[in-house]
Order: sequence, then structure tokens, then C-alpha cells
Amino acid sequence: MTAPSFEKFLSLSVDLTAFEETDLLGTGMAHAYLAKVRAACGDEVVTDLLDAHRAARADAAGGTGSHARTPLDRDLFDRALRHRILSDDRLGPVARNVIKLWYAGMWYALPPEWTDRHGARTAAETSTVTAAAYQEGLLWRAIGANPPGAKAPGYGSWAEPPRIADRYLKGATR
Amino acid sequence: MYAKFPKGAAHRTDPGAAAEVLYDAVVVGGGISGALVALRLSEAGRKVLLLEAGPAEDLTLRGYERYLDRFYSAISKDNQAPYPAVANAPMPRGTDARRITPGAPDASSYIVQSGPFATDTTYTRVLGGTTMHWEGKALRMLPEDFRMRTLYGEGADWPLTYEDLAPYYSEAEREIGVSADVEDQAYLGIGFDEDYVFPMKGLPLSYLDRTVAKDVDGMPVDLDGEHRELRVRPFPQGRNGIPNPAYDGGRGYVPRGAVSAYQVEVGERCQGNNNCVPICPVQAKYNAGKTLALALQSGRVDLVAQAVAHKVHVDESTGRVTEIEYRRYDRPDSPGHTTMRARGRLFVLAANAVENPRLMLASGLRGSSGLMGRNFMDHAYLLAWALLPEVAGTFRGTICTGGITDLRGGRFRSRQAAFTVDIHNDGWGWARGAPMTDLIGLVDSGGRYGESLRQGLVDRVSRQLQLAFMVEVPADPSNRVTVSPDFTDELGNMRPVLSYNVPEYTMRGVAYARQLSRRIFARLGAEDHTAYDPEFWGYAVHDGEGYEIRGGNHLAGTHVMGREPSTSVVDADQRCWDHENLYMVGGGSMPTVGTSNVTLTLAALCLRSVRAMLAQLDSETAPIEVTTGRDQAATTSGETAP
Repeated sequence: MTAPSFEKFLSLSVDLTAFEETDLLGTGMAHAYLAKVRAACGDEVVTDLLDAHRAARADAAGGTGSHARTPLDRDLFDRALRHRILSDDRLGPVARNVIKLWYAGMWYALPPEWTDRHGARTAAETSTVTAAAYQEGLLWRAIGANPPGAKAPGYGSWAEPPRIADRYLKGATR
Repeated sequence: MYAKFPKGAAHRTDPGAAAEVLYDAVVVGGGISGALVALRLSEAGRKVLLLEAGPAEDLTLRGYERYLDRFYSAISKDNQAPYPAVANAPMPRGTDARRITPGAPDASSYIVQSGPFATDTTYTRVLGGTTMHWEGKALRMLPEDFRMRTLYGEGADWPLTYEDLAPYYSEAEREIGVSADVEDQAYLGIGFDEDYVFPMKGLPLSYLDRTVAKDVDGMPVDLDGEHRELRVRPFPQGRNGIPNPAYDGGRGYVPRGAVSAYQVEVGERCQGNNNCVPICPVQAKYNAGKTLALALQSGRVDLVAQAVAHKVHVDESTGRVTEIEYRRYDRPDSPGHTTMRARGRLFVLAANAVENPRLMLASGLRGSSGLMGRNFMDHAYLLAWALLPEVAGTFRGTICTGGITDLRGGRFRSRQAAFTVDIHNDGWGWARGAPMTDLIGLVDSGGRYGESLRQGLVDRVSRQLQLAFMVEVPADPSNRVTVSPDFTDELGNMRPVLSYNVPEYTMRGVAYARQLSRRIFARLGAEDHTAYDPEFWGYAVHDGEGYEIRGGNHLAGTHVMGREPSTSVVDADQRCWDHENLYMVGGGSMPTVGTSNVTLTLAALCLRSVRAMLAQLDSETAPIEVTTGRDQAATTSGETAP
């Protein structure tokens, strides 16, 4: 079996996090995160997850291929991700962990029903990846804040309204 | 004039050599109390030995950065996360708290809790003490807080008045470097000298504070026939802001920088890291290391770290302290140690309101009043949390910039406890572990990913409002610190055993706080999400309603000061009635805690006590021969005012 592809992992991560590839690469954490997922779950699971993602993209592109440039039908893609990955006993918890890894910089232990069936590895326990991972958590960017203790925004910046793109404000007004 | 990392600050005194010296003062504890005392005594030309229980790694930039790295890498980012856990000088941790089964003390962590109420109160045993993780709120107490018994028939009166302490408050504000504006802070009788300004200008309120203020300012509250209107008010902060050019009669103020060799981006103005607790990454927040660095620069302060005080030795005939026996461990990770002794003319216990009485009781010194360790106080925190109707950008700024202080005083205090209300810029972090718990909830059970996750996070996190009601706890002799030979640490020191219950008076204030939070949320149009979990370790029921009560780490009361030896442990100078050359300093001396975080007040008390210490040293010029006993003691009373 070949090692899970970094490019595919990145493509999956873009779809799961709604952050651009450049944002994800800009954290400097992408390689470390793929390594973490592989260490915690094993290559077979990771490869299957990446394949399922590729298949979901293919579903949404009308079966013509999985190239990122093919316009996706968003509703179909959402449905395919839910059916192929998020609702899958084996892949769902791993995909959710990949999201949390990007957002929090932390690997959360997989649920016990997952480890009972698919095996527990030492690396699967709740753990931080590196000291930088916390600082690169996407959560903070999503809410227009800095990770507490790092990337300080400057004196008095807190008196101004937060910088959050309008499309994320939903019904709530600022 | 930056407080540059001084030559000599990294120098540690050899304990063997220190044992041969008779110091003017031996100070136990390298937190803010010990640092201020050491600084002032050394400035007056006195020779001081400072004993610190923890490893002393933080007086260098490298040491400080190790704390930061430990914090970044920690899974639990609680208020002790950056600091090394050392079994030889253990410290309590907020995550230790467990519900206590009646009759079965919880000895699973350093403080043995015999209940009935469990507390998560903590303190930090490293150089700099708990100011390493303090939030930095620097409120003065109200004049009425010093006269609670007389005015309201609750708690105790101090042997001091606000006016007595006011000049030392100003001095403490200089030492700490407080940012505030007098026009915001003169309320409920808090008086300032004419023309006084704080060293630095007040920090701006957060956008969240301003969002709350739009609706809360002017909210009427009637209590016990007194009408008041609430207002969101900025808190005075022990962190660097913009120096006020009008300070000190126009001489201005130069902020204290970081404890380091470099002044690149650290130690200057607050940058809004939102991480005052557990560690300010840039040392914009005051920590006692800044004061210690200056003290060590004098060359008259010797520091021995990894030195845990074991026993206070007293001359039985005079009551004078002869030496402090301490255990010096060689390595933080092994219990191997050497027993050493420290000798001085004066001894100053500055180890905090739990460790001070713990050491005295472990030395068999219960105090003739029987009050050693009694009247333990902290603040009881009640949290209430809601979602605002609009995005308020929660999680930005210092941890807390503003709050409501209008209910700190008033006639209602004859019936129920007063409180200060904090608006938490870190949202529901304290109450519910936000924002990580929100992230986990949205992903694991909310089915969110991608764009809908980003929307969900903004909707769920950026609208969070958490009010923290800091409710006063009056002195109660049955709330106490004791020791027992059944509970010892790695070095064989007896651990503190805490008995604590939240008084009814406080619970009446808590119940009122919850009512008021409902009114505030209704006025804001906010969705109240407050729910108190009966399984929570600090769950308390009052009048049929249950509440989650948390500790504030505002330790006080365990060696109260007073006018009479029969009703107090120390006098107004924090000198022990029973031991004329022993000072017990810090929050333990406070007879009431009022509704202000204790650090500024205990700093002011220490600065005031230094004058008595210097006067006593001046009057006791001859080397002390403890064996000469009573005659010597009779001629060495140090009561003379300077």
C-alpha cells in the first residue's frame, strides 16, 4: 500500500475546514497534521478516508472526475460527504478529528467504540502536536480573535468591532 | 530606566554560606509580598535572605519562555499550565477540585480538603508567586470594607482605616504599575489625593463591554431603600498602558519592562493577548519577578531557591524567632534534600494565606489567640452566561476590561454580601470551557464542517457574554487551615488541610446575583444559557435553588490583624503578637476581603509594614543573643514610629 498522499490530505482539509489551501499551508502545520493522523489511525484508514473524499467529489461533479477545478454541485457534495464519510463508523470520527486538529491544533482521542473496533495506538490519545499547533488553530481566525497568549493584535484593538466576514455573521448583525 | 535583567539576578546564594550569616531579615516566599519587603529593606541598606520554595527559573527571559512553551504545549490550559509541578513544593491546581463526601477528606491533591464545601482555589509556588498567573485587576477596597462590623454588624473591623492605607495604595499602584483613570475609580467613597493620577492611563473598554454598556448603563436598581443606576466601568489594571505625563506632579511614569536582557517586543504596553491568566506572553502584566529583579540588583538580597521552610524555631522564654529551618532540595524531581537554617534579626513570612499558617501550625505555633489558620477567606464566584443578540467579538482584549461595581457597597450589606461583576472577554471559558467545547460540540454532535462550521462558531462563540459575580465571603473561624501528621508531602512537610463552607450571608448575595443576572440579560435581549449542574464539585443549594460556586484564589484571613492579641494574630503592622521579631504578611492579615481582588491591598499592607520593620531594626541595633532571654526582649521592643 502506498503512503497517503499529502495533496489529497490537503484537498480533504480544505473541504472540511472552509479555509483556502494557502491558509492551510501558511500554518506550517499541514505535514505534521498528516503525520499525526497516520500515527494515530494507521495508513489504511487514512487512505480510505482520502479515497472516500475523492469519491464524494466525483459524485458531486457528476462522475466526470475529481479535479479541484471541476465545478462542484455544493448540495450534492454535502450529501456525498455525509453519506460516504461523516456517517461512516470508521471514517466519520477520523474526519471529525481532522477538523478539530486544524481548528484547535490538538488531536482529540477517538471515541472508545472506534478504538475497540479498529485498534488503539499510543498516538491516538488526546495530545498536542507541537507548541506552534495551538497558535495556528483556525478557530481563532474563524472568530476574528488571536489564540490567547500569541499573535497579539495590539494595544486597544479590542475596543474596535471584530473583523469577521459578513457571510459568517448569518442572521446576527454586528 | 528599564528594569533590565540585572547583573546578579541569576546569582543564587549558596545555602551553606547563607547559614553563616545573621541577616537583618529572613523572608519566606518570593511572591509579591516577599519581593516588596525585600526590595524596600534592601533600599534602606538592610541585608535580606529570601527563601523560595519553587525552582527559580523565571528571572531570565529564557526561563520565562520555557513557561510559555509549556503553556502552548499543555493539553489543559488552566491557571497553573505554564508552571512546573514539583513534588517537593507542590501547588494546588484548579483541576484538583472534587466533590467532598461528608466525613471523608479529599486528600488526592496537595490541599487536603475536609469540606464540607470543595474549592478549586489555587496559588503558584514559583519565583514571583501567584502574580505569575494573576489577572491583574487592582481595585482598592472601599472605606466601608474596613468597618464592616461597626457599619453592618457583619465580618470584622480593621485596626486601620481606608485613610490610613490610602498613601500605601498609591505606593503599591506605583510598584505594580497600575493603569486607570481617577474619574472612573472615585466611587462609593474611594478617595484619592488631590491631583492624584494613576501611573498609566486606563485601558480602553472592550467592544464587548461597550455592547453591554449600551443597554446596561442607567439600569435602575433599588435595594434597601437606596436607588442606584448601574454602569459598565473600566477596572484598574496591573498591566502597562499609556504612561500618564501628569503622574507624580508632572514628572511622569516610566513603565517597568520585562525581566530580561532585551526590550524588543516584551515588557511594554499590553498587546491584547487575552491570556493574563495563566501567563502574559510579553510581561506587560505585572509579576513580582519585576520587583525581585530590582531587589536582587541591590546586592543586599540573597536568594536561595528550592528552599522549603520546614519549621519556625522560637526561643521559649522570649517568644522571639531564632531561626527558620528549611529543606533545600537538590533537584526538582527527587526528594533528596539538605536541612539548612536561616538566621536573622527579623523574620517575615510572605508565603500566602495558606502557606503562612501551615508553616506556623506545622511548627507547633498555634498562637495565643487560637486564631492561627482560622477565618480563611476567598471570594465566592457565581457565573452567569448568555448569548447576546449581536456578534460582540468575544475573546478579544485582556481577560477582563470592565464590569459593574455599583453593588460593592451599601446598606444591603447588613443582610447580604456585596459583589463586583466582571464582564469576561473570554466568553464562557471559565463556565463551560469555551471556545473549545463549542468547537467540539459543533463538530461532534452538530454535524458541522466547512462553511457551516465557520458560521456556527461565529454564531455560538462571538456572541458569548459571561458575567462573573465576585461575592464577598466574611470571616468565619470555622473556615480554617490546619495541619496533620497524617498528610505530608515528598519532603516530609505537613500539607495544608482546609475546612471550608460558604456562609449564608454570602449565599444570600449569590442568590441576589443570579436574580440580577436575569434582569441584565433581559435588558440586553440576551438568551440566558446559565444552568447549574448538581454534579458540579462546587454545587451549593440555597433556598431551594442550586448554584455552581467557584473559588477566586483571593486567599485571606488566616492570620488576621487586629487591635487586641486575644482577637487577632498580628497587629496593624502585621507583626505577630506572640513573636515580636516575626511578621506574617499578605492576604492572611486581612480581616475582610470586601469586593476587590486582594493583591493591591496586600501589597499596600506590606509597604506599610516595611516602615515598622525598619523602625524595629533601627531600635534593635545590637546583635541579638537569644540566650539572654527576657532582659534582651524587654529592651528591644520596636514599636517606635519612624
